[in-house]
Amino acid sequence: MTPGCPPRLYDSAFERDSCGFGLIASIDGRASTWLVDQAFSALAKMSHRGGVNADGVTGDGSGILLHRPEAWLCGLAADAGIALAARFAAGLVFLPHDAARAAAAEATLAACVAAEGLAVAGWRDVPLADEPCGPLGLAHRPAIRQIFVDAPEALAEPAFERALFRARRRAEQALCDEADFYVVSLSATDIGYKSMSAPGRLREVFADLQRTDLAACAAVFHQRFSTNTRPNWQLAQPFRLLAHNGEINTIQANRAWTLARAAKYRSPLVDFSDLGPLVSTGGSDSQSLDNMLEVLLAGGLDLLTAMRILVPPAWGAREDIDEDLEAFYEYYALHSEPWDGPAGLVMCDARYAACTLDRNGLRPARWAQSDDGHLIIASEAGLWDVPPERTVAKGRLGPGEMLAVDLVEHRLLDGPAIDAINRARAPFKQWLREEVIYLESYLIDPGLAAEPFAPDVLARFQHLFALTREERDVVLKSLAESEAEATGSMGDDTPIAVLSQMSRPLYEYFRQAFAQVTNPPIDPLRERLVMSLVTQIGREGNVFELSRHNARQLLLNSPILSQRKLRQILALPEFLGQQRQIDLYFGAGETLEQALHRLCAEAEAAVRDGAVLLLLSDRYPQPGLTPVHALLATGAIHAHLVRMQLRCDCNLLVETGSARDPHHFACLIGFGATAVYPYLAYQTLFDMNRRGELKGREGEPLSEIGRSYRRGIRKGLLKILSKMGISTIAGYRGAQLFEIVGLDPAVVELCFPGTPARIGGAGFADLERELRVQARAAETPSRWLLPGGLLKAVPDGEYHMYNPAVIGALQAAVRTGDESLYRRYAEAVNGRPPSALRDLLVLRPAAAPLPLAKVEPADSVLKRFDSAGMSLGALSPEAHEALAIAMNRLGARSNSGEGGEDPARYGTERMSKIKQVASGRFGVTPAYLVNAEVLQIKIAQGAKPGEGGQLPGHKVNGLIARLRYAKPGIGLISPPPHHDIYSIEDLAELIHDLREANPKALISVKLVSHAGVGTIAAGVVKAGADLITVSGHDGGTGASPITSIRYAGTPWELGLAETHQTLVYNGLRQRVILQTDGGLKTGLDVVKAAILGADSFGFGTAPMVALGCKYLRICHLNSCATGVATQHEVLRQKHFLGLPDMVVNFFRFVAEEVREHLAALGVTSLAEVVGRTELLEHLPGITPKQQVLDVSALLDSARPASGGDFRCAGALVAGPSALALRIEQDTAAAVASRRGGVFRYPVSNVDRAIGARLSGAVARRHGDQGMADEPIVLELDGTAGQSFGAWNAGGVHLVLTGEANDGVGKGMAGGRIVIRPPARLRCPTQHTPILGNTCLYGATGGELYAAGRAGERFAVRNSGALAVVEGVGDHGCEYMTGGVVVVLGRSGLNFGAGMTGGFAYVLDLERDFVDRYNHELVDIHRISLEGMENHLQHLRTLLRAHIEHTGSAWAERLLGDFRDVLHKIWLVKPKAASLDALAEELRRAA
Amino acid sequence: MSEKTFPFLKFHRALPSEVPVPVRVLGFAEIHAGFANGDGTDQAARCLDCGNPYCSWACPLHNRIPQWLKLVQAGRIEDAAALMHETNPLPEICGRVCPQDRLCEGDCTLEEGFGAVTIGAIERWVTDEAIKRGWRPAVLAPKTDKRVAIVGAGPAGLAAADRLVRSGVAVDVFDRHEEIGGLLTFGIPPFKLDKAVVRQRREVLEGLGVHFALGVEVGRDVPFPSLLDGYDAVFIATGAYTSTDGRLPGQTLPGVHAALPFLIANVRRLLGTERPGETLPDLAGQRVVVLGGGDTAMDCVRTSIRLGAAQVSCVYRRDEANMPGSRREVKYAKDEGVVFRFNRQPLEIVGGGRASGVRVVETRLVTDGSGRARPEAVPGSEEVLPADVVILAFGFQPSPPSWCAQFGIETDASGRLRVGGTGRLPLQTSNPKIYAGGDTVRGADLVVRAVHDGREAAGSMLRQFGLPAA
Repeated sequence: MTPGCPPRLYDSAFERDSCGFGLIASIDGRASTWLVDQAFSALAKMSHRGGVNADGVTGDGSGILLHRPEAWLCGLAADAGIALAARFAAGLVFLPHDAARAAAAEATLAACVAAEGLAVAGWRDVPLADEPCGPLGLAHRPAIRQIFVDAPEALAEPAFERALFRARRRAEQALCDEADFYVVSLSATDIGYKSMSAPGRLREVFADLQRTDLAACAAVFHQRFSTNTRPNWQLAQPFRLLAHNGEINTIQANRAWTLARAAKYRSPLVDFSDLGPLVSTGGSDSQSLDNMLEVLLAGGLDLLTAMRILVPPAWGAREDIDEDLEAFYEYYALHSEPWDGPAGLVMCDARYAACTLDRNGLRPARWAQSDDGHLIIASEAGLWDVPPERTVAKGRLGPGEMLAVDLVEHRLLDGPAIDAINRARAPFKQWLREEVIYLESYLIDPGLAAEPFAPDVLARFQHLFALTREERDVVLKSLAESEAEATGSMGDDTPIAVLSQMSRPLYEYFRQAFAQVTNPPIDPLRERLVMSLVTQIGREGNVFELSRHNARQLLLNSPILSQRKLRQILALPEFLGQQRQIDLYFGAGETLEQALHRLCAEAEAAVRDGAVLLLLSDRYPQPGLTPVHALLATGAIHAHLVRMQLRCDCNLLVETGSARDPHHFACLIGFGATAVYPYLAYQTLFDMNRRGELKGREGEPLSEIGRSYRRGIRKGLLKILSKMGISTIAGYRGAQLFEIVGLDPAVVELCFPGTPARIGGAGFADLERELRVQARAAETPSRWLLPGGLLKAVPDGEYHMYNPAVIGALQAAVRTGDESLYRRYAEAVNGRPPSALRDLLVLRPAAAPLPLAKVEPADSVLKRFDSAGMSLGALSPEAHEALAIAMNRLGARSNSGEGGEDPARYGTERMSKIKQVASGRFGVTPAYLVNAEVLQIKIAQGAKPGEGGQLPGHKVNGLIARLRYAKPGIGLISPPPHHDIYSIEDLAELIHDLREANPKALISVKLVSHAGVGTIAAGVVKAGADLITVSGHDGGTGASPITSIRYAGTPWELGLAETHQTLVYNGLRQRVILQTDGGLKTGLDVVKAAILGADSFGFGTAPMVALGCKYLRICHLNSCATGVATQHEVLRQKHFLGLPDMVVNFFRFVAEEVREHLAALGVTSLAEVVGRTELLEHLPGITPKQQVLDVSALLDSARPASGGDFRCAGALVAGPSALALRIEQDTAAAVASRRGGVFRYPVSNVDRAIGARLSGAVARRHGDQGMADEPIVLELDGTAGQSFGAWNAGGVHLVLTGEANDGVGKGMAGGRIVIRPPARLRCPTQHTPILGNTCLYGATGGELYAAGRAGERFAVRNSGALAVVEGVGDHGCEYMTGGVVVVLGRSGLNFGAGMTGGFAYVLDLERDFVDRYNHELVDIHRISLEGMENHLQHLRTLLRAHIEHTGSAWAERLLGDFRDVLHKIWLVKPKAASLDALAEELRRAA
Repeated sequence: MSEKTFPFLKFHRALPSEVPVPVRVLGFAEIHAGFANGDGTDQAARCLDCGNPYCSWACPLHNRIPQWLKLVQAGRIEDAAALMHETNPLPEICGRVCPQDRLCEGDCTLEEGFGAVTIGAIERWVTDEAIKRGWRPAVLAPKTDKRVAIVGAGPAGLAAADRLVRSGVAVDVFDRHEEIGGLLTFGIPPFKLDKAVVRQRREVLEGLGVHFALGVEVGRDVPFPSLLDGYDAVFIATGAYTSTDGRLPGQTLPGVHAALPFLIANVRRLLGTERPGETLPDLAGQRVVVLGGGDTAMDCVRTSIRLGAAQVSCVYRRDEANMPGSRREVKYAKDEGVVFRFNRQPLEIVGGGRASGVRVVETRLVTDGSGRARPEAVPGSEEVLPADVVILAFGFQPSPPSWCAQFGIETDASGRLRVGGTGRLPLQTSNPKIYAGGDTVRGADLVVRAVHDGREAAGSMLRQFGLPAA
């Protein structure tokens, strides 16, 4: 069903996976069949967390790891006639079906086993069932045999395990060319079984697992969801030790550094030197992590230490952490970097079964303990069959927490117990105190003024490094003045660097990677506590060697150096005689490439010579010499030293004039720099300041320019890291998280090996030519600076695709409706110098063109056009509505954007048919969702993928505030991630939730182009989407940091072609409508996009221009003089001249142009050209760089064998749960007649989004609150699945006795949710979780009462709901803009981050809340008996309501003691809201 | 956000105060003062700093207008002047004489609905102010051994001189007139461009090292070959002084004057350098009819008003919307009492022995879909406009020096020097050592385009010399 050979834009390295996981263990170490049964039944209940393949049956894989099932193994061996020694190991082995190859592989493995002094006891065939595998699983199933290995007598278990480890690794190395050889596990203590089967049917595949003698004392299990569909049994989990839910964002850095560090890993216990690469460089991130854990354990660390080193908590920013423990983390951080990213990990080795969570708590992990000593931990609550009265404790793991069962000493180890073990391993604190070097830092950095350049020297440097006036006046100035990047708006309409006819900085060929769907970006401002830029300098030590010498390192709090710091470092006695300056210059007698090789050799020699510091410097130019670009040099030297295994012996300090904005630093560090000293940026700023061009506060000249500039850069760096979901600079350094667009493979190979670069481009000769021209220009320095023109269309600067001529022509055409004027516009666009990749592709006209009349009519073309999401908030209501009216009249669709929509527009011509669901969830209510034909989940936007947004307070007027459920004048923050999408199965959940609310709508997911987007899209299709948009990097924005607009995302041509090819390759293309957007301007653009794979087309900027936008790029200032992008009353009323007809004219013109091109191609419809890349021809281009571009990968033909309609098969939708349907039927009459009723049901964790379908039905008939006074009550019993009560409408009351999982009440608009524990549960409610993470996300109203604790990010982005809970995890009330939250128990860290509205009452019995809330935007007050009677009354009322609904004994106790308790309660409110105003509100509400 | 982002709403477009009509028509002083304290800054603050700087795009020199407006806003007058000089060697002059309403200000985003930023007035004020404060354009490169001769000290010649001298090239400028400026001095009336401004610019240029040889006509006083031999390159910018011949019957009658001699005579009178045979007609109490609708016509009518004419009318064959002259000039002329007779085609100057009137016919405009609307006579609508003095302002043709052909400099049919094209640098003539620009090349055109040519020609010469372009 799929073509055999992968298309060129697809790379299996892009594949991502995620899933559900679990662990069950008997603390007493009693093996039982009950435990095994529990594991399989729990696994079956997580099927919805797994992915299903294109065949609709086969899952992405699941597995189980069993601890010490010895009796059963002996039974298996005995049945096969294998006699075992007293100590033996067993393991499953995947083998080729070919008998000879299988035999060879077996022999190799046996030989390796023998080489370690062990003996193979025997092999047996593993019996398998076919049907449960599903068609794809079966087709790709390897041959599976089981091996038994005997230990020699007297060989202790740990030594036996090490020997097995070595044998297996050696065999893997020997058989690296045998792709079908794979050892599932080979251990004396644990054995893994895994398969690709239909979700939940693992046990049916293996007869072994159905034997009645199968008993174990611990089991780890896993259900996989991967973005790819190329079935691979090897990637099912658990691996040999662990199973992972989430994604390691830093994987590239981790793999690279592990390789670089290979020589450093020396253990007396085991020899690693002949095992090949210690971690896999292909396969999945989880697999590599498993490899690494294995290495650390084999080398002698125990599981508790190893895991805490690999995935540490955020210890750096915590003030409450124990000093010895902190020292433990800091000590190990000197020689390793965290494996960072969303991670819920369960694992099991010979001694421990454990679970740990990443520092940000981005995956759920709930645990429960039974009275007979069993512990279960899993992604969800409600998986096991232990009645409430037998449950003695329940909990959830918080961010960075770990829980373990000591299977030898039979103890449950909680976090503090594990910490106690770890910190006592060595006198870490003392070692650090005595050995670590910190630089003396000064409050003010006078160093900058120490060596100012003379004006002519400065000018020479500025020309040498092509610093433009624009860069100086916009980029540098803003960084120094405001300590932040400049903000811009609209998109990037300049040619990509390689297409430009000018010479563009090398950094511009690099596009930043960003997280989308499979992992979340982080908010580096509001969640600052997980971030760190700490950089150490020194020679790395051996992690297996516990020694004070390993602590001998220099620590810097940031990799951006001041002049003083650099001088101090170079002068430290520790580094005297151990440093080497490498000048980055080359002369006429050498080519750039030769120079790079020479520099690599120099660096290698220096390190071999003992240099610990390499100073790569372009600070000392010499006449006649040309600089080697610092990025080329850094990348090449870093890669070379890694290859030579020398990189960990030295540090690369880069002293360069080329680094100016945060992206430049990110590139240098991402390709290996340890620290950077940007001397030219400092010198330029110093010069500006000297001339009085920099303003400090109150218009004074700045005195601390360097410090301010560094702060700005640091902020920008953190943003770039967080965009990829990475928390620490150590995880970013050397990670190469970029896609290169436009460099030749030879350049990439030498300087940036392994970085995706898919269209070739500028080679060494081209780069050398540009560098030499620049160097020559610098010889006569006293000229003014180059103008720049990248940000604004300067006439003598870079070409802009929306230049004044194009804007003028378009507006003239649409205002007059004159077709000849449109042609003039289309010619100006279609005939421009090549600026976008598509400009190098030209249509191949047919030999026999069709008459125009034969081509489908314009109306049918127009149906494929959408307007891109632009929020009311960014746009004026007039512009927003004019656009909606025009699209509706055309039979096309407009997109609401993320700002909600006025209900008055529902059902009228002014309604947007596409409703966007973005991370801020502004105004997303059930009525909003049901009034849509398409629901678009905006994962990323072209102008700033991986980042959140901010609507400044001055744009929030009455209307905007009403629609967004906020207060006028108060700024609104959209978080970087969707807080209910941290991984692919979360997206599946959100799609499910939205479908429940509006079963008729198509669900769309908006992605941004970057290498790997196709694979993500495959995952999105598997998650059930109907429509995918792939946006180009050039999309517009209302406001975004300039580096985000310019350096993230790639052209849509790449992303679209990759997505189309990948989906076809995976057999998924028929299940989805594919759309692209990003700078589409003409019919020709549309036809080319269709040929590259698009069914549908989004337009953002062009219709705005049609409405009068003149591309002023001042949207973020609210002063748009054309009234398009402003909320200013006068500008909107008097100066907005746009009419729907102008937009109608534009799209009609475009559609007609499309028809003409189709006729010329000889086809009758757009559908016919989708994917037909043979209709495009490659043009050579007009510059040397354009001529070497290879866009042929874009043209890999990808049409499924069937051809035809690309969306014939429909979305991969699992269908609603039976319970949801039953509720819908039972309540239909009550909804129709608008009368309430009470209905009762049992519920289990597989029943997801219960209530959403009903709320959707209510909202469709009666609006958000139409049934508020005639409520329908659902009384439910059991454990509710995820998204319980999502999009709850007024009049829907859910009363759950039991507990709930993540996402309770997300998007709730009204009604009530009550959750109370079963009466038989004995755990105290204030210590026991009852709901999961991110509950009430984006709620706009309603009430929630829960007698128990909530998880992380409770009430995130809440803008109206009232909630009472008995404890919350970290980041409570984050980004909250309205509503009231009462926390009657302990709250986690970072409470109230980004909170701008509403308020909270928080009980603080431990009296440490002051350290636990985020001080940026909120303040806290005691509720005094005088003057705050309103609050006192309010709180008492809420307590009573809570008791009434939940019967909470804890709340009763608090109320009974109210006067005393009051002293321990804080009122938390936004600083911007006055106490009086709050009181007034309460009075009015009362 | 505060009002900071809305100065364009807070401050209305305002030009510096205008001298009242009854006062200004009494003399030849400029009719605008500079900006009062702070006004210029406020006006500069109105700039939106558009992503698409339409003003820069519309300016033939691509002046960095938003950037210097920002500097003005910050009170950085000298820096603004320096930035102005980066693209424009004569900003105070362009600020005065450019038809901004058709160029930068006409394309200003604020023009639609708000009123454009007063770019010209700011340009003029800032340059005047900076020079007054003692600021001077910076020398950009050390002296070289290159020498260039420039023929013609008009805007093109001055622009080239500025660029060359600041790039270290020695420059001698030859002009047959007694003062520099060409039309800037002799063509444009002082109420638009005070002659002190030109003199100020002369001092600036001389301060930079430019040498002017005035009253020297190349080909008469200095043989052209001596320039070719003595210099590394020659720039010819001799302007367009030949009047377009309207071929009107009666145009040779006494009382009929050509525009340019009329304007020149007036300037010479004011400068005190009158020459015999170039006397200005006495217009006191006369009825003056000026034929033509361009800026020169406007100069003539407004000069006539100031010379005391009893009645001044302007006759133009198309309608007001189709006039080539700057709207602003038309408005001033109207304010000063000029009567416009649009849609009138002159047929003949009548009079026995002396002009006494102009016979005209009414026209209507017809469009045939291509190009500009064409006037068509309305049959039977002839009339005679009485006149004592008739001034012909139909435009000008280049006046190529007679020796051009001799040195291999190609010209086109209408006498314009040919420059550029394949194998040549911009503005290089068919003689590789000789460059030309301004009206000599374009025919009568805007000052700003002449400045552009001078600047670009200098750039080409520098390239030819292997020097970095300024």
